[in-house]
Formats: sequence, structure tokens, C-alpha cells
Amino acid sequence: MTNPILEIRNLHARIEDREILKGVNLAIPAGELHAVMGRNGSGKSTLSYVLAGKEDYEITEGEVLLDGVDLLGMEPNERAAAGLFLAFQYPIEIPGVATMTFLKAAMNAQRKSRGEGEISTPDFMRAVKEAGASLNIDASMLKRPLNVGFSGGEKKRAEVLQMALLAPKMCILDETDSGLDIDALQVVSKGVNALRSEQRSMLVITHYQRLLNHIVPDVVHVFSDGRIVESGDKSLALQLEAKGYADFDSEPA
Amino acid sequence: MLKPKMPVRLNAAEETLIAQLTGAGDSAQAERLSVTGLPTRRVESYHYTDLKMLLKSVPPLVGAANTASAPALRLAGAYRLLIANGEPQASATAPAGVIVGSSDGAALSVHDDVLVRLNTAFAKKSLSLTLEGTVDPIIQIDRRTEGTAAHSASSARIFVADDSSATILETYSGSDEAHLTNNASYIAVGRNAQVTHITVDLSSDGVTHFATNEYVLAEGAKLRTLAIHAGSALARTQIFAKFAGEGAHADIAGLNLVDDGQHLDFTLDVNHAVPNTTSQEVFKQVGRGRSKAVFQGKIVVARDAQKTDAKMMMQGLMLSDQAEILSKPELEIYADDVVCGHGSTCGELDADSMFYLMSRGISRAEAETMLVRGFLKEVLDPIEDAELNEALTAVVDDWLVGGK
Repeated sequence: MTNPILEIRNLHARIEDREILKGVNLAIPAGELHAVMGRNGSGKSTLSYVLAGKEDYEITEGEVLLDGVDLLGMEPNERAAAGLFLAFQYPIEIPGVATMTFLKAAMNAQRKSRGEGEISTPDFMRAVKEAGASLNIDASMLKRPLNVGFSGGEKKRAEVLQMALLAPKMCILDETDSGLDIDALQVVSKGVNALRSEQRSMLVITHYQRLLNHIVPDVVHVFSDGRIVESGDKSLALQLEAKGYADFDSEPA
Repeated sequence: MLKPKMPVRLNAAEETLIAQLTGAGDSAQAERLSVTGLPTRRVESYHYTDLKMLLKSVPPLVGAANTASAPALRLAGAYRLLIANGEPQASATAPAGVIVGSSDGAALSVHDDVLVRLNTAFAKKSLSLTLEGTVDPIIQIDRRTEGTAAHSASSARIFVADDSSATILETYSGSDEAHLTNNASYIAVGRNAQVTHITVDLSSDGVTHFATNEYVLAEGAKLRTLAIHAGSALARTQIFAKFAGEGAHADIAGLNLVDDGQHLDFTLDVNHAVPNTTSQEVFKQVGRGRSKAVFQGKIVVARDAQKTDAKMMMQGLMLSDQAEILSKPELEIYADDVVCGHGSTCGELDADSMFYLMSRGISRAEAETMLVRGFLKEVLDPIEDAELNEALTAVVDDWLVGGK
């Protein structure tokens, strides 16, 4: 068996005095898409932030390997250069930074880390146009400051656009379905599915089964109280939808 | 009971200035300075910039410029006028609508302010400019202090005729010495005239740079100003704007880029003296290293100046724990039917925005640069001339990536 793209071993993390991740173990082989499902407050989003390197959390135990390389010692930008991408649940609005300027800076930063030269403007424009077309992203959206005034759907489509342009090997999608109506959900799901490949792994974090009708997972994990308590195939998601999370809650200590 | 006032103890800088004033034949100002000394923080308008403490020494009075540095900013399309060591230099043939001359004496009106008094005492000649009609090229006044460390005063008097329009850029630079420069600009904006006036201090590290920009706006005049501090060790730009005619409007902006070891001050005094005038003041300060950024802004609305609309904003951004950003907005309103407001905010770069940018592979330094650039956009965007906007953006970018 080949090495997993992402491997999380006994990961513990806290914010201030509160322990949120309490021993997460997870391995995602190349080409697979795993879903992590859990109720609000179970620590799912914390997991995504800790993987991407947000400063607010303190890692107390465990390790995370991306393609065999230790992630936890890296800055967020180094993790991105190593091939990690987090699609945010709430993409940040940054007035004053033009979307196109941002996209180009991000692409060039990653090219630089690979020792490549800057992308030419025509190549860049072409890449954005191509990737944007299937996501219904038009020029007017790209002319605005980054995420400013974007609807919920536009923000999520812009996240998938970034994912397509940066071509990461490990994608984490944090509650990508939140704030989406059914049409937008289809567009976003189509975009995500188009990016699935043998070389790329994905981790989809959600608390609704709905998204998994569109983005069908290879493996479903149930997350409760800071750890994975059950894993199974996609039928596990349906089971959760029918019965709720109560059956999976940790035993009282 | 009145106590006899103790004489001030004069420091080296004050002694030199007094000697220089005496030498220049201005015994009245010499006498005055020897009694008052330089302003300390107990003088309200110098509260954050204690000149007595900050001005350690004063270099000898400047002589004629024998050497020449390069212009601090080059604009291909600009009509450039040079003032070297306080002396207006010969210039190329003026474009249409521009009359260039020089006049004896300084240009500022009387103000109860030591920098104004010193400029008036030491500026022997003023560059005089009359701008008429639609003045097409940007007028650049390139002020430089050349040679060994010197105390230099320069002055310019600019009249923009009724119904005319012009863009004026002033830059300050010179040889890499610890100069003390005291610069003055008096700009009268005629009826319905439109003026953009930009000043950029690009003096070298050891310089003490003082500038006073005085504006008088006639009826219907429109003024846009932007003052940028991007050099010197100690700098203070004083902006005095007076609304003398109804229907006039001014956008007054400043950009304080303050690096380790610097103390840079903007002091603003806007006087709405007549009814129906409007102004908007936006000042942004970015501090890095151990540095001090100062903004004092005062808006005065006279008793008769009904329907005044004035809004003043200061926004500070601290890029280090040791950067100090000081802000003192004041409103002095004597009329009863006005809309006036002021705001002042200060903070660090938004951590969530930094994380978002970095999560896409952008380095910490570049993410910081992008966010600071975004923060400053509001003051640079209104500069419509593309070449000028590009040159000013480059000044900001140099500061951002350069550092000291």
C-alpha cells in the first residue's frame, strides 16, 4: 500500500484552556475523498484550521504528515506550498485587495516555492478564465475586491476557483455547503468533482448529508467530542441522517 | 500673586537658532526665541512633538548649492522647477498658463507658530508661480538641500487663477546629510479653480524636515491635497487651510509612513470661516519598528460658517509592538447649523486576513504588504493622473519592501 497523502496521528489541540481535538487519527490515501461529519461544536472546523496552520491553536500532542512530510512545524504559506488547500467555511473579505491581484500573488508564490518563474499575464488571464467558466465566475466578480460583497454562493465558487488554480494535492473543504442554495450547491459540487483525481485527495467537512449526494465520498468518518468515533462507507452518512448523532456520542467517562 | 517667570534654559539648538536669527538681522525674533525657547509638550500644538527635546542641534545656515543630487521623483510629463538650498533656480521655458518668477521674502501669512516664524526669518526668496487656465503638465517643485549638513529655508507662493485647474507636486530631498529644512508653500486657489497639491518628503535618514502648507480657498474652489512622509528622522508637516469663499470644498489627506527611529508629525488646522463650505480629512499612519507617528487635526467652524460639513478621520496601523501612533482630533465649532465629525481608529493587521492570504501560499511579508497597500488605497486612489498615481504608489511600495 502506498503512503497516504494526509496522515493525522493522535492529534490533540487546544485553544486557551479548552481542549478541542482529543486524539484524531485519520489517513487519506491518494485519490480518495473522505468526509468528516459531526454536529456543530464537535471540533470539525478546528481540525481544518489546525491542519492549515491557524495561529490560535496550540498543538499539545500528535503529528500530521502531508505526503510523508511533517506539517505542524510549517507556516500556513509553507503548508500551501507543500500542497495543502483549505476552502474556508467563511472566506475572509479583504477590502483593498483586488481579487485578480490576490489570485496572481497566490499562484506566483506557489510557483516561486517550486523554483518556477512568475506566470505571464496572458497565461494567468487564460487560466482564470478557463477555471472560472465552469464555475459561472464572470469578469465582474473578479473585478471586485477579494470576497467583498460576494454572496454566499459567490464566495464558495471563488474558493473552488482558487483550488482549481493552485492545484493542491490535498484539499480540505470546510462546510462548503453552508450558505448555498441548491443551484449553487450543484455548481460548487460540480467544480469540486471536476478536481477529483488519482493524485489528489480531499477531506470534506460537513454536518449535513445533503452535500454528500453531490460529492460522493469514499469513506465517511463520524466526528464527536474532538475525535473520530466511527468510520464506514457512504452509507454511514445516510445512517447519520436518519438517526442523528446521538448514537455516536462518546460514552460518558 | 504673580511670580516672576523663570528664564528658560536654552539648549544648543536654541542657541544656534538665536545666533542665526541675530546674524540674519532679525533681532526681534532672536529676542523672542531667547525668552520663549522652542515649544515643549506643554505647548498644545507641539504636545506630541516636543521640539526643545527632539531638536538636538541646528546645522549652519546654508550656502549656495554647488553640487546636485538627482530629483527624488521623476515624472516624464512634469514641468519641473528646482529650489536648491532655498534658492529658486532658473527653469526651462514655462508651458502655457504658467508664469514663473521669484520674489523677495517669505510667502506664509502670519501665524503664531515657531516654524512659520523661522521660515519667515530665513527664507530670503520665494518661488512665485501663477497658474492660469487648464494647466496641462503637472508642476513639480523639486526642493533639495545639497552639500554638507545645513539649515535651509525655502518658500513658494502659488496663485491659481479663477476657473483654472492645476496639479502641483512638491518633493523634498537632497544630499545624504543631517540637514534641517524648513519649507513653506502658500497656495491661493481662485474662484471655481481646481487644484491638486501633493507633497512628498523623501529626505535622507538624518534630516529634520519641516513644512508648512498654507491654503486659502476662494468661492467655489476645489482643493485636493495629499502629504506623504516617507523620509527624514524628524518631520512635521503643518497644513493650514482657510475657507474664504462660499461653496468651496477641500479633500485633505496625509500618509505617514514611519519606520524605526523616526518621529513624523502631521498637524492640521482647517478653518471654515464662511458659510456653505465642506471638507473631508483622511489621514493614515503606518508604524514599524520603534517609531512615533503623530496626527493632530483641528477643524474650526466660525460663528457665521453655517452649513459647514466637515469630516475628519485618522486611521493608524501598527506593524510592530513598539510603534506608537498618536492622534488628537479636535473640533472647535461656533456655528449652530453644521455637520461635523471626527473619528480615530488604530489597530494591527487583521489576523484572519493574514491567515487567509498565507493559507494560499503567500508569504507573511508579502501578505503584510498586500494588506498595508489595501489600507492605503483610500488615499492614493483619488489621485487621477495615472503617472502621478504610479509614482506615489511606488513611494509607498519602496517603503513597504524597503524598511531601514
